[in-house]
Amino acid sequence: MVSGRSLESATALITGAFGAAVVVSSLDNGIGWSSAGVDSGTFPFVVGLTILAGSVFNLVQGWLHARPVILRPSELRRLSILFFPTAVFVGVIPLIGIYPASAFYVFGALAWHKRGSLLDAALAAIGAALALYLIFELTFQISLPRGMLGTAFGF
Amino acid sequence: MSQKSKFAAVAFVLAIGLPGAVRAAWQPAKPIEFIATAGPGGGTDNFARAVQNIITKYKLVEQPIVVVNKAGGSGAEGYTYTKSMAGDPYKIVFGTSNAWTQPMVSKVAYNYTDLTPIAAMVQDEFLLWVKQDAPYQNVQDFFKAVAAKPAGDFKMGGAQSKDTDETLTRMIDKAAKVKFVYIPFKSGAEAAVQLAGGHIDAHVNNPSESIGQWKGSTQRPLCAFSPQRLPDGPKVTATQNWHDILTCVESGLNIPQFQQPRTVWLPGKVTADQAAFYVDLMKKVQATPEWKEYIERTSQTDTFLTGDAFSKFIKDDIERTHKIAADEGWLISN
Amino acid sequence: MENLEALMHGFDIALSGNHIFLMLIGVLLGILVGVLPGLGAPNGVSLLLPLTFGMQPVSAIILLSSMYWGALFGGSVTSILFNIPGEPSSVATTFDGYPMARDGRPTTALATAFGSAAFGALAGVVLITLSASWVAQVALAFGPPEYFAVYFLAFASFVGMGGSPPIKTLVSLAIGFALAAVGIDTVSGSVRLTMGIDELVKGVNFVVAVMGLFGIGELLIAVEDEFHVKAISSKVEWREVFRTLAGLPRYSWALLRSAAIGCWMGITPGGPTAASFMSYGIAKRLSPRRANFGKGEPEGIIAPETADHAAGTSALLPMLALGIPGSATAAVMMGGLMIWGLNPGPMLFIEQKDFVWGLIASMYLGNVVAVVLVLLTVPIFAALMRVPFFIIAPVIVIICTVGAYSVSNSYLDVMMMMGFGILGYLFKKLHYPLAPLVLAIVIGDKAEDAFRQSMLMSRGSLGIFFAKPLVTTLILLGAALLLMPVIWRTIGRMMPRTQARP
Repeated sequence: MVSGRSLESATALITGAFGAAVVVSSLDNGIGWSSAGVDSGTFPFVVGLTILAGSVFNLVQGWLHARPVILRPSELRRLSILFFPTAVFVGVIPLIGIYPASAFYVFGALAWHKRGSLLDAALAAIGAALALYLIFELTFQISLPRGMLGTAFGF
Repeated sequence: MSQKSKFAAVAFVLAIGLPGAVRAAWQPAKPIEFIATAGPGGGTDNFARAVQNIITKYKLVEQPIVVVNKAGGSGAEGYTYTKSMAGDPYKIVFGTSNAWTQPMVSKVAYNYTDLTPIAAMVQDEFLLWVKQDAPYQNVQDFFKAVAAKPAGDFKMGGAQSKDTDETLTRMIDKAAKVKFVYIPFKSGAEAAVQLAGGHIDAHVNNPSESIGQWKGSTQRPLCAFSPQRLPDGPKVTATQNWHDILTCVESGLNIPQFQQPRTVWLPGKVTADQAAFYVDLMKKVQATPEWKEYIERTSQTDTFLTGDAFSKFIKDDIERTHKIAADEGWLISN
Repeated sequence: MENLEALMHGFDIALSGNHIFLMLIGVLLGILVGVLPGLGAPNGVSLLLPLTFGMQPVSAIILLSSMYWGALFGGSVTSILFNIPGEPSSVATTFDGYPMARDGRPTTALATAFGSAAFGALAGVVLITLSASWVAQVALAFGPPEYFAVYFLAFASFVGMGGSPPIKTLVSLAIGFALAAVGIDTVSGSVRLTMGIDELVKGVNFVVAVMGLFGIGELLIAVEDEFHVKAISSKVEWREVFRTLAGLPRYSWALLRSAAIGCWMGITPGGPTAASFMSYGIAKRLSPRRANFGKGEPEGIIAPETADHAAGTSALLPMLALGIPGSATAAVMMGGLMIWGLNPGPMLFIEQKDFVWGLIASMYLGNVVAVVLVLLTVPIFAALMRVPFFIIAPVIVIICTVGAYSVSNSYLDVMMMMGFGILGYLFKKLHYPLAPLVLAIVIGDKAEDAFRQSMLMSRGSLGIFFAKPLVTTLILLGAALLLMPVIWRTIGRMMPRTQARP
């Protein structure tokens, strides 16, 4: 279970941290007016301050007025079933490349939901990887990441 | 020649020549990626695609060639990417002099020393352009008009900031003892439209960036920043071709030469043979009629600088640009 | 009427079997690249460009421009079905298109989108036909202050409406502006906001942000709800396509207004993205069914689609007449023109009459071909909605990943896309609006550049925004739009009876 208060605060903290980083970073570029016109840091500085101030406001608001429960346990469970495999999929791309990663991902998703046989799942997995190759690599000449595995095999 | 000396000669050739021949025979074994440091349609993009077309047409390389645009950060994206590909002889990056000038004025994550220079293949020319219906007919009138107004009243447009166009503007400032306000736009084409609309007073576009506008009588060149007149050719307007435009020195603006090289690089840490292969390849490209056609169509100047000549060119250009950048306070403090 | 004669001559050129065949090929390829996020018309154009060198320039431009139409239509498909806009200009289509499709009416949503898009494109071509010679002059009137004013107008018409908490809207907008500023700054040439990540010098790409915020974010929202996880059993009927098209004239006021906004933004430098957002914003303000917007209101699809296509079409005119490409695709096409030995510019219309009018005639025909083909595909695309969620979800994730990667062959972009996905989920969950963020990413840096260029020209005086009638009008119009909700609220408060109305 996740409370609205914690989700609101977390989001406000993320946006606030981003705003602070923008403010600090823009100071490097100089703010104000110089012979070359409006300095390049001015606009990001103002924008960063806006984000920071807005985040503080949202933090307080969220703390005071948030809904008690924003994610029920069942919702949280379904969310993690989608999110974690996706994160793993994206995470392994630099290691094994996008083709095996996509194939495993599709296979895993189909196998988990237990519709159709494992053979169907395997065929769909290979089909997905093949479709990617045909469309991107072959037709539009966009080379997709092959990962360390691909490099080891000399692709 | 005696039998013995013949044998000696053969042995000599075998000893010296063959290993050399084997080494020079590096051939690409997989697809090659051309990285254009400009967006589709830009000068550098056209350059990379012209080279690609010629190589493909004459089958100068067995492997396929793919052009990839990495134009982000005024080209820094392409150079940074190439830098990260050190040792990979299948990435060729196409750019301009910004390979060495950009690191001087912006905190980018590469320097030209991170790349292996292959060649400078073309010099693009610069001209001084004004609006068609502007009252001044020649360079002297123009600068008289500029000097008559308070400093900063005349607006010079150009592509990008602290790149060739602004550098040239500052050189003009010095040579003519005036002061332009420089307005940076995303591209030369944009500056040309701004001039046609009368929002700026002049720009220093390349011939190919403004030929349509000249033909269409919205703007005209006053002088060319080249040591001699541009080559003769078909008429662009009813009465004039590029050769009819005075050089800037002829017309009293003492900037004898300002050109923009189009350059080709490999990533760092490639072997000498790999570099030699591409130098040779680019030479072959340059010998084709299609290349001549590309040069003429874009009104650029053919050149081929490689090895020491290229290094010296870079060194001279850095010296000149560095001086201007230092005077203007553009240099980044590291 | 000289133009009409020339147009008839153009039809003579364009209406050959060979050219119709090229149109079919071009449109089909265009739909393919348009539907696949990460691929866009520029990919297709650069793929075809080498093939065209042997062709007549007219044939070549017919092939390329047909692909452009196909891609424009195809781009709306993923926006509506999966909430993934493949192009900046189809973001606004997701606002009502996606809810309508989710509601079990994907056929209606797609047919509405295509029908109004075709109307918009037609309006654009008619404008080009009737006024080719002087419309180009309008674009010339736009200097940096006018550019800024147009962007200001686009923001003003869009921001400040909708039921989101104002401070959350502000934060979302400001984050978009900050993201737009990442990378090399045009006006100073310096590197901004890269936060120590060297690769960020290239900036934050729109596609990367949108794949995450909309595609992944929406997936995470949808999975929570058990109902959504079940497939939608939508009936796919041909009749529904025709019924929807036949019903479009009921929205003729919205269609005309949106087409006008689109044409205006197309010939001025605003462009299709600003046009679609602005049109949506204005439709929402003027519509009596304001409350339905965002929940699958047909007018919420009609307004952005019509404006997008009207702008996309009429934007080709400044390209031909002035040589400024309005979009990446137009830029590639311009490169093509030069390779064929044609120089875009005012002389094109005089020296290359056959080419120009052949192209304009092919815009009519190409759009007809495109709309017929794309309507034929509606049932196929709508059938995608019946695929169970557990199959479609991995496919969407893979498509978003590949799309983000292929923008510039970078894994960093994939990571950022995932980050945007989480942010998109949080924002949606907590009622932060996403649209202002996206609008700011797309036109924020252009607006900033234009503002600073103006400041350079005026040496720091804001008076430049009131120096000429055109820029003054635009700024005042923008200010009025920005203040309108406040004024209305005040009036509402003074007259309690009007407030009681729904």
